[in-house]
Amino acid sequence: MAVAAARDLPPTFHPNPSPLPSSMEPRLRQLRRVPLLDFVARIADLHADQASPVRKLVAEMIGEVGSKHMAYLPNVMPCLLHLLNDDTPAVARQAIKTGTTLFAKVLRQLVIQGLFSSGGIDDSLKLSWEALLKLKSAVSHMAFQPMSNEGARLLAIKFVEKTVLLYTPDPDTPPDPPNEVTEDMGFNVAWLRGGHPLLNVGDLAMEASQNLGLLLEQLKPPKVKSLSTSMIIVFVTSLSAIAQRRPSFYGRILPVLLSLDPASSIIKVQVPGAFHALKSAFAACLKCTHSSAEPWRARLLEAQNIINQADSIEHSSNRVESLPLETTSTDNSNKRNLIDDIDNVPEDGDRSNKRIRQSHHDQERTENVKNNVELTSADTPSSPSNSASTGNSEAVYQLVSMFAALAAQGDRAAGSLQILSSSIAADLLAEVVMVNMQHLPVSHPEVDQQQSPSAGQPSGAPSSSLLSACFPLLESLLKRINQNDREVDEAPQTIDSAVVPSAAGETAAIPAIPGPTSRNLPMEENSNSSSIPSDMETIEAKEPTADAARLSIEIQESSEASHASTELQGTQEHGGSFISSLPADNSSAGLSLAQSSETRSPSSSMVEASQTQFSYSSTLTSQHVLPKLVVTNIDLSDEAKDLLQKEAFLRILDCDKQDASGGSIARLPLLAHLGVEFPLELDPWELLQKHVLSDYVNNEGHELTLCILNRLYREAEQDHDFLSSRTATSVYESFLLTVAENLRDMFPASDKSLGKLLCEIPYLPEGVLKLLEGLCSPGSNEKQDKDLQSGDRVTQGLSAVWNLIMLRPSNRDRCLEIALQSSIHHLDEVRMKAIRLVANKLFPMASISKRIEDFANEKLNSVLEVVPADESAASEMSTPEAPKDGGSENLSSSVADSQTLMSLYFALCTKKHSLLRHVFAIYGSLPQAAKQAVHRQVPILIRTIGSSPSLLGIISDPPADSRDLLMQVLQTLTDGAMPSQDLISSVKNLYSKTKDIEVLFAVLAHLPKDEVLPVFPSIVNLPLDKFQVALSRILQGSPQNGPSLDPSEILIAIHVIDPEKEGIPLKKVIDACAACFEQRTIFTQQVLAKALNQLVEQIPLPLLFMRTVMQAIGAFPALVDFVMDIMSRLVSKQIWKYPKLWVGFLKCAILTKPQSYGVLLQLPAPQLENALNKNPVLKAPLVEHANQPNVRSTLPRSTLVVLGLAEDQQQPAPQAQSSQNQAAETSSSAADTTTEVTQESSAVS
Amino acid sequence: MGMEARRKMRFAMVCSSNMNRSMEAHSLLGRAGLDVASYGTGTHVKLPGPSLHEPNVYDFGTPYNVIYDDLRRKDPDLYKRNGLLPMLKRNTSVKLAPQRWQDNAGDGLFDVIFSFEERVFDLIVDDMHNREQRMLKNALIINMDVKDNHEEAGVGAKLALDLCQKLEGADEDWEEIIDDLIITFEKQHKRKLTYNMAFY
Repeated sequence: MAVAAARDLPPTFHPNPSPLPSSMEPRLRQLRRVPLLDFVARIADLHADQASPVRKLVAEMIGEVGSKHMAYLPNVMPCLLHLLNDDTPAVARQAIKTGTTLFAKVLRQLVIQGLFSSGGIDDSLKLSWEALLKLKSAVSHMAFQPMSNEGARLLAIKFVEKTVLLYTPDPDTPPDPPNEVTEDMGFNVAWLRGGHPLLNVGDLAMEASQNLGLLLEQLKPPKVKSLSTSMIIVFVTSLSAIAQRRPSFYGRILPVLLSLDPASSIIKVQVPGAFHALKSAFAACLKCTHSSAEPWRARLLEAQNIINQADSIEHSSNRVESLPLETTSTDNSNKRNLIDDIDNVPEDGDRSNKRIRQSHHDQERTENVKNNVELTSADTPSSPSNSASTGNSEAVYQLVSMFAALAAQGDRAAGSLQILSSSIAADLLAEVVMVNMQHLPVSHPEVDQQQSPSAGQPSGAPSSSLLSACFPLLESLLKRINQNDREVDEAPQTIDSAVVPSAAGETAAIPAIPGPTSRNLPMEENSNSSSIPSDMETIEAKEPTADAARLSIEIQESSEASHASTELQGTQEHGGSFISSLPADNSSAGLSLAQSSETRSPSSSMVEASQTQFSYSSTLTSQHVLPKLVVTNIDLSDEAKDLLQKEAFLRILDCDKQDASGGSIARLPLLAHLGVEFPLELDPWELLQKHVLSDYVNNEGHELTLCILNRLYREAEQDHDFLSSRTATSVYESFLLTVAENLRDMFPASDKSLGKLLCEIPYLPEGVLKLLEGLCSPGSNEKQDKDLQSGDRVTQGLSAVWNLIMLRPSNRDRCLEIALQSSIHHLDEVRMKAIRLVANKLFPMASISKRIEDFANEKLNSVLEVVPADESAASEMSTPEAPKDGGSENLSSSVADSQTLMSLYFALCTKKHSLLRHVFAIYGSLPQAAKQAVHRQVPILIRTIGSSPSLLGIISDPPADSRDLLMQVLQTLTDGAMPSQDLISSVKNLYSKTKDIEVLFAVLAHLPKDEVLPVFPSIVNLPLDKFQVALSRILQGSPQNGPSLDPSEILIAIHVIDPEKEGIPLKKVIDACAACFEQRTIFTQQVLAKALNQLVEQIPLPLLFMRTVMQAIGAFPALVDFVMDIMSRLVSKQIWKYPKLWVGFLKCAILTKPQSYGVLLQLPAPQLENALNKNPVLKAPLVEHANQPNVRSTLPRSTLVVLGLAEDQQQPAPQAQSSQNQAAETSSSAADTTTEVTQESSAVS
Repeated sequence: MGMEARRKMRFAMVCSSNMNRSMEAHSLLGRAGLDVASYGTGTHVKLPGPSLHEPNVYDFGTPYNVIYDDLRRKDPDLYKRNGLLPMLKRNTSVKLAPQRWQDNAGDGLFDVIFSFEERVFDLIVDDMHNREQRMLKNALIINMDVKDNHEEAGVGAKLALDLCQKLEGADEDWEEIIDDLIITFEKQHKRKLTYNMAFY
């Protein structure tokens, strides 16, 4: 606070505005009353204070005191000089600042007193001035010496800048002093021209020039190398400031600045900040409108370009050694002796420099080369080619001109041309050619030009003089080459201004400059550009219109429209300044277009609209001569403007429709571009959509849509503005979605447009994917029922998805998801289509098969949770009181659900058989409905797979609880097909493990007899229905080998079963027999006869033999004769010895009487008697039969005795005895038989 | 005040519209206790609108809450979704209204001017160059390119804070250390910085 008060104190004694604590008041008041002189002395005391802030404040106060009361300056200046060397940077800085201020003030005072004061200059002022001159030399010294205090040095540089400005005339203020002294009269050293007692304008100018030289020296190698970035920045900004305010120095300053461009690599190793400062400096210099600045414009623009491209520029070779020529450049002007410069009157500097350069040419060259050698040996590894000190392009342009000049001489110079081109490094020559390419006319290649360049350049002499003026150093070289002296100094002014447009045209940033090709150059060369002959107009009418239109489009495309248009306006001003003779012209079209892109100019919207069209059409036919447009101001309402714009847009669209035949490369991007740029409450997107869809097939709808989407994508990705890029994204998405929806709805499902579009657009937004999803998995509530019925839409969607999966890896996962979801769709038709895609086409793709498999697996497993576990439901069904309808309905829907979830997995099984095992594995735990679903699908699946090794593996070793499934699989496998040996052996394997006879059923028909017979008892042991199945299998047999057992063999097999030994109930065996007898077509009379024939020979006789015989008779009565034969064989086999069979025998005899009488009579008498005793009913008919004379004669006496037809005469006793024994025996066995039969009958019932 | 070793530096954060990047940095530096102001160099405050190239345009000086209300009236959903409304809300807590750099002559001198876009940087340099230089007060202008979105603005602001704190906390004057500081920073954060100097 005290400090602030003290600072305010000396001159003005302002009342302190801020409220202070009352205790300070008196002291402050006292301080304010200190006389100024004492105060100054106090300041002087304090300048050596220990505290640096105090010293800094002292330096500051010296400035305050000095500028308000110069009389005290001599007293305080020594302090200030002392403070300059203060150790504390801040103090030294403040001292310099103060010194700078004071220097300007005192100088101004000195000038004013010298010019206006009658009494001359007072002494104190003279003393002050002397002190300040000391200060000046001290500070200047600081500016040009490397020192530790960088901050102070920066300010010292600013001080030097200030002195240079003060010492040189200001072209912007009047050169004559005002008539009287005023506060705001300003200052211009030019006033001193009329004379001044102390100051000499010439001396001052010389000193300024010297200081400028010193400043420039700092930026040249080698000094520039030791500068920090901040130093370079300050030097550059100071020098550019001087150049702008004193344009006469352009000629000295700019060459140095230009030599710093990145191509020269002088400051390449530094922080890029320096280049940026340079760029700003160039931009600032370009804005200067002073006439001295004009000649530098082209160079500045070029340098700007070089800086902009700096990153991409690489120096491929060091050309110093190979071609010293190249080192000639404006940079050489830097090497001039200072003495030379001082003589130059600034305004004329530019031209006289050239003379000097010419005269010092040789010396300079050696100097320069030496310089370069130094540079290359210096510690800058990244800069091999600083030879072309102002950049390759500089050299290239000079070479181009040299070629032109040589070519202009025709054949005479052919030799020189060859020497020149062979002495240039190949890459440089290539660059020369490239640069020259820019000058080739767009569409009218002049044949002459190619044959002989001299024809294209009608007058050689002036053109080389033009060249030499532009490139003075080359000029002297040329002199050597053709020994033909030319007048140089005549034309420079003319040529300078002619060159500007040519160079400017190349930068392609200035639509306003006419005649941008080198073709024009030779024609203009003799005429001053300010008086272009009127026939130029036609040439320019062609060129600039096309250019202007093209450029204006470029400008519109530039995201920073405002930025571009200001730049444009800036150059436009400039262009107008020296092409003022052109009529109100085409170039204005470019400008107003640029404005229209910003909709800034309210007055010209009509013109804009027409010009928009105009300019676009002009790009299509760039060689058309277009009518000139007159810009008139018309006031339109906003609505009218909107309408105009909209109409224009519609007209463009209409034209596009009509002109659809060609030129799409130009048209489509334009339409897309219009969409982006159109200022639109008018919704260009909707218009464009309509346009696209109005005739999609014939009018390149696909291409246009792509174009628009690409454009929007670019807009979004440029990301210069985070929200507008988001907006572009949303337009992209809605545009695409609308087009996609329309394509879906407009075209039949078989159309491929939609799929094609989706494959080619920049990216797929979620909205479109949703649309695809809708196609592939139609929801039940959507309104596409009609399409859905056909299913074609699903096909369309799926094929699009397939394409996307193939062509857009980045969307693969998402598209796969769509396909997978579709593959578990509830509608069979949809699901099957999707499954076909997934299983047949996608699953084989290695990259995604795993995911598909996982998905299918997950869905398969989900059946366990999703489908109600319904063991209870199943059991309910079997109970009659359960609500059966509802139950079965539920069940069938559950089955369908299960099928939905499992189909994909089954489909995958057909591609990868090993997946099957999991089906078997979970089968046991599946709910009933799911099991049903499995059973429904398995036949199809198994038929597809066949007996693959995986399946056989499962069959050999099935997971637990999968028996039902396995049975179905086996049945399916063998159903109508010959099972392979592998399958058969797998089944046998399985049987050997499980002893489950049913598993053999499938292959039963294909097993040989010797394998069937061992298992036959097990078959008989099965429930009757299963036995019947097995029976039919066995009988059916295989086509090749026939039945494994024929029917009679079966019967035999049944009969030979020993129930006790095999542990099979007799009842099962009887049933089996019955089952056979039921099939009379198979078990025919002959079969039975054959079987019986063999059975009767069995030892022992099968238990059921007689029973079977009787059944056979029952079934086939015609068999009776055959049976009699069997029975007589039984008699001979002493059938009565088998008590069970004996009973059956007798039954059979009764059954077959009277045919059986013969057999009965064959029995030995005791057995006959036994038989008749057991069956008395037989006796009478048998006696009657035997009593027939022909019969009776054949019977033995014993038989007749039993029958009562003869007396027992001999040995009745032993006969009786034996017969009694026999009878006893028989009765006991009969009793056995009875019990047997009782048992049998009980078992039968 | 009086004898303290060094007065506080004044920082200016500058972007195009004084909405997102500069305000994020302003907010952050302010909370860190630095003396900070913020500006935009555009001719107008431009905020994205409902469609491409239909920006919402306001004059500098239009209070943030007025803009907020305007946008909320126009399409609350859109502007909430794209983050404009939250951003404006944050801005109202920092200062009243967006300010234009070119019109800030009355705001005093800044030691460090920090821009987030090269174009803005150029405009500042150009503007400083065109101002009359009388004070010989050196100002440091630093540019760090930061994308104009919320996430990047946050990142950029943190980096700006880091750099500004280093400048503020340095024992020496920034003129002495700036080159080293920049190089170190570039290495550390892999961000390219450009700086320039101007004199008030």
